[in-house]
Amino acid sequence: MRWRNDPQHFGAVTRLIHWGMALLIVSMLILGTKLANMQPNLSNLALYGLHKTGGFLALSLVIVRLIWHRISPPPAPLGPPRAWANRAAKLAHGLIYLLLLGIPLSGWIASSATGIDVMVLDRFVIPPIAPVSAAWESWGFWVHGVLTKALMGVLALHVAGALKRGIDGDATMQRMIGG
Amino acid sequence: MYILPPLLFAIALAASPVLASPMAYALQPEASTVGFETDFGPDKITGRMPVTQADLSLDFQHVAASTIAVTLDVAGAEASFPFAAQAMKGPKVLDSGDFPTITFQSTSVKTDGDGAAVQGNITIRGVTKPALLHAVIYRQAGTVAGDLSLLTIRLTGSVKRSAFGATGWADAVGDEVRLDITARIQRVE
Repeated sequence: MRWRNDPQHFGAVTRLIHWGMALLIVSMLILGTKLANMQPNLSNLALYGLHKTGGFLALSLVIVRLIWHRISPPPAPLGPPRAWANRAAKLAHGLIYLLLLGIPLSGWIASSATGIDVMVLDRFVIPPIAPVSAAWESWGFWVHGVLTKALMGVLALHVAGALKRGIDGDATMQRMIGG
Repeated sequence: MYILPPLLFAIALAASPVLASPMAYALQPEASTVGFETDFGPDKITGRMPVTQADLSLDFQHVAASTIAVTLDVAGAEASFPFAAQAMKGPKVLDSGDFPTITFQSTSVKTDGDGAAVQGNITIRGVTKPALLHAVIYRQAGTVAGDLSLLTIRLTGSVKRSAFGATGWADAVGDEVRLDITARIQRVE
């Protein structure tokens, strides 16, 4: 098995992080949407903790991924680099990385601002990164929601683009799935 | 716990010279708590807050001459799950950093059934509002009937936290906070 990326292939580490994050992000979008519309009570309170754990994991994974891509750069997109599809893909990937940093950070900021400990795995308190303040809290959750909706939009384009390449018969999907 | 309804605030007591004039009582803080409860969706958040000070002067002949003053320690509060205690003490609810105590000072005491209606002022987050508590006095376990040296006073009532600006998490947590105070008191000789 090839762990590292090379100029033609995605290595196992990148593919594992890509599909692991895909699963995590789709689950978190569903869970987060549920939380936003949920009346909290004792039996569903743990879902907030689960969401924070997932968010902390997502933030950690995106940082690991960015570091890994410095160590082992991923292959360039297939096809001519100046094609509009590749420029759009590059823009979408950049936006996804920014949103994957901004969404957990805004959630962490808003949660810190509530004054309640931010817990991960139900036992570890992660330090607050914002003052306890109603303004920071409402601003943070607003940003969290707006960025999440932006992510949903960009991910829809990302999936549509990948499917289009698959239908057109280029190898982009195969190399992210099979290396 | 033995209920003393016939004893309390009752004519039977009037016969005893010992009971004339108000008697001062001191709190037994270790055996005293303020219990509270509020709604959390279909569930309840419950908790306790320590009583740091209580000045009680009880007059069993002239109930109206009785006075009750209580101070609670907000920072020492506990709740049924950890987030609730932290939320409650935080700036959006009780703000224990700026307002470490809750106080109650009676303004009038009247007999009411087996107990007494205690009207007073409660101060939460620095905001003072009138509140009505219902008081019932019991004798403590191990004491004999007629012994008024050790008593248990139970005060019940409720406050609307929004009236005091304690509005945090209003969409998830109820506005009415029901109080159930158990104060064990000892007569000061």
